[in-house]
Amino acid sequence: MFAVTKMNLNDAKAIGKVAIAGVLIVVVIIAGVVGYYFYQTQNPPLKDRLIMGTTDSVESCLDPARAYDFFGFEIIQSLGSPLVEYKAGSTGSVDDIIPALATSWEVSADGLTWTFNLRQGVMFASEREFTANDVKYTFDRGIGIADPDGAFVGVGVGDIIDSVTVVSKYVVKFQLKIPFAAFLSLMAFQACYIVDPEYAPMAGSSWSIDDVVLYEDGNSRGSNPMGLGPYNLKSWTRVAGKDTEMTLEANPLYWNSVGGYPKTKNITINFYADSSGLALAMTAGDIDVAFRQLSTTDITAMKSNHDLKVWEGTGAFIQYLCMQQKNAPFNNAKIRQAVAAAIDRSSLVDTVFQGQAEKLYSMIPLGMFGHTEAFESLGDPNYTRTRELLAELGYNENNKLTFTLWYETSGHYPQSPQQALVLKSSLEESGVISVNLESRDWAAYRTARQEEIMQAYILGWYPDYIDPDDYIFPFVHSSGGSWIHHNYANPEMDKLIEWARGNTTSTARQSLYAQIQDLMVQDTAIIPLYQGGAYAVSKTNVDGIYLDITQNWRHWLVYAIQ
Amino acid sequence: MTLRTYIVSRILLTIPMIFILLTTVFLIMRVLPGDPVLLHFEKMENPALIAEMRIRLGLDKPLPVQYVDYLIGLFRGDLGKSMQDYSSVGQQVFSAFPATLELAIFSMAIAVLIGVLLGVESSKAYNSPKDHLIRVFGIVTYAIPVFFLGMILQMIFGVGLHWLPIGGRTYQTMVPTGLNIGSLHFSTGLYTVDSLLEGNIVKFGTSLKYLFLPSLTLGLALCGIFVRLTRSNMFETLRLDFVTAAKARGLKDSTVTYSYALRNAFLPVLTMMGLQFALLLGGAVLTETTFSWPGLGRYLIDRINFRDYTAIQGVVVVFGLFVSLVSLGIDLLYAYLDPRIRL
Repeated sequence: MFAVTKMNLNDAKAIGKVAIAGVLIVVVIIAGVVGYYFYQTQNPPLKDRLIMGTTDSVESCLDPARAYDFFGFEIIQSLGSPLVEYKAGSTGSVDDIIPALATSWEVSADGLTWTFNLRQGVMFASEREFTANDVKYTFDRGIGIADPDGAFVGVGVGDIIDSVTVVSKYVVKFQLKIPFAAFLSLMAFQACYIVDPEYAPMAGSSWSIDDVVLYEDGNSRGSNPMGLGPYNLKSWTRVAGKDTEMTLEANPLYWNSVGGYPKTKNITINFYADSSGLALAMTAGDIDVAFRQLSTTDITAMKSNHDLKVWEGTGAFIQYLCMQQKNAPFNNAKIRQAVAAAIDRSSLVDTVFQGQAEKLYSMIPLGMFGHTEAFESLGDPNYTRTRELLAELGYNENNKLTFTLWYETSGHYPQSPQQALVLKSSLEESGVISVNLESRDWAAYRTARQEEIMQAYILGWYPDYIDPDDYIFPFVHSSGGSWIHHNYANPEMDKLIEWARGNTTSTARQSLYAQIQDLMVQDTAIIPLYQGGAYAVSKTNVDGIYLDITQNWRHWLVYAIQ
Repeated sequence: MTLRTYIVSRILLTIPMIFILLTTVFLIMRVLPGDPVLLHFEKMENPALIAEMRIRLGLDKPLPVQYVDYLIGLFRGDLGKSMQDYSSVGQQVFSAFPATLELAIFSMAIAVLIGVLLGVESSKAYNSPKDHLIRVFGIVTYAIPVFFLGMILQMIFGVGLHWLPIGGRTYQTMVPTGLNIGSLHFSTGLYTVDSLLEGNIVKFGTSLKYLFLPSLTLGLALCGIFVRLTRSNMFETLRLDFVTAAKARGLKDSTVTYSYALRNAFLPVLTMMGLQFALLLGGAVLTETTFSWPGLGRYLIDRINFRDYTAIQGVVVVFGLFVSLVSLGIDLLYAYLDPRIRL
């Protein structure tokens, strides 16, 4: 009995040790599982490949000397890098500009000389070091080629930059022709992305339009002159001038790869002919992300689909109403004010865009430095004011102000026919305005604009560089706005704009833009209508999408959890 | 008239037809409002640059000179350069044409197959509920807009069942290379044919998978006319003496219907196939958009928006030649089948 007890005690000790060991193992396993769970939650494995869908296509090519379209820019900024860039989520303020290929910069007191210190040790994808010579080469090339289709001419880069000088291997200096406050914004613009001279050579003895790098079937590397961005162009297929598939592959030499970028190593882009095809592909799960252009109806429907995530951001696209001011009736500011007062923006935003746009009371968009709600003072709508203003000029219910409102019909702008109908209804609600509608496809509309035969007409604007100047100078400056053909000119306005362009002090610029917007209301040179929203749709496991006013689609930040 | 004389005269007739077509398009495009030069200057207008662009595009010359220049280029086999992106129109057109051709061939095959089979069944069951049902089907598919039908099929087979892709022609790694023997390379641009030439059955399957929905859409849209035509012709043929005689000899019903009656009733269907090819190309424009099919139809629409005169002319020439060739082929087949046509 005793022996048995002793044996039992020994056994009990052994069992106890085993039990403790077992508990410890269980605890370790549980801790491991829990730890793994938390690790996975905090650092989930990411998908190696994302499939994006779009209705866009590269319009001409991927050479910053010619490219001047939304999607072309989207790809250029994935394949290349600028001197400076906007941080994700930016409101477009100059304070949001962060170093990229330039680590620091300074401007001379007269605003005419900008000096950039460049990041050292940056390698092109072709394994050659990036230096100040490449910056000079890029700008000399873009200005020298002077492609009429390109942004260098469109924005007038050659009218701003006088020369680019290499100070040393890592220091470059820009001499400007005019003081230009938005210069840093211009440097972040996709047209100013640095090209690799090896892939953008000069064929003859001087730059010509034939030096533009074009799409070459089966040669994606030779089809773009970039090489400092987060991605390389692995493949690109186009049929009859439209993209059919594109794949991006992480650039192992990207200067910011130390930061863990790009988060998704491979991106495939599928192209759809229209928004319904894109929406169907997103709903069917064929693609991970759909960006540009989904219809408002599709976005509304997708908001209630639990398998999808709708991303909403600030858009930079605006639309506005122009009036031909060389002839009656719009050669009279009071009539223009009366029309502005009778516009019901709520109806436009709610009826046409189902709330996926913002009412706009200034040409400078909401969320951008310098924006004021200037046009709200005229009413939204204020029919009493419209009637009073028109009564002073002899218009009333029996003698209505009659004019023709033009709109385009080929989808160049979103839902133009619906916009025109809502505007007509809103204006006629005043009881003293009668509107006839006239439409043309974009090509004919463009000609009609130049011929100055349209009385009132709707136009739209995607910005180039993100600065109030890009929303003011091209519209109400007598030379900058000549392309609109609305024949508005006011020397006081010109003076204010030129001061604002040249002044590098934020406070002073803010005050000048406030004055400019007030003067725009007084003259009612142009009537802002709405600001488009920016929308993307993705599967629920996708993250890292930023839709800010810069309009930059940052492929390198987007990822999906496995 | 011998068959050879007939062929030569038909080919010679094709030349003035293309010439008239081309001249009409050349003039209409230039009469239409819209200037291809201005479309290069959306955000700015510099008169000197506009004038330079006009010279670059050859639009500074008088209209007759432009016309003669274009014709000279055409005789050299040069379709000119695009006025929008300066690319070679010939290259662009011929890169997109195989996709349209493949879609057209499969669609026509589906249209004829469904149309003839249903037409025969309808004629055999004359005035029965089956006949009425088939007639209604024919009318509905004929009347339904092709893009709407396409979207319904996309919803069912793409979104609902996940069986077939929503759009596109294939994906990057599945593009067939065609026949490769040593340094010899041959491809047609038709993915189904090229994948077979390559001997890759997976690529063939993938090509068919992508081709099926657009072809079915266009085929269904066109089959209605074949249903009605086959039905009415078969209805008359089935009552002719030779059919009764064949039946009296104890031949199987299917042999009498398909080998005897349909062979006779098929001639008008053949004629209609030729005529429908032109309509099919028109339908392909919408189908290509609905299914993001990278064909010539989409290219044409795109270029019309840009008033890209040379590109539009190029597409019209190729479409015209294609329709003429198909029509010629059908006529020759007809002449072969029915010697009376040559008399």
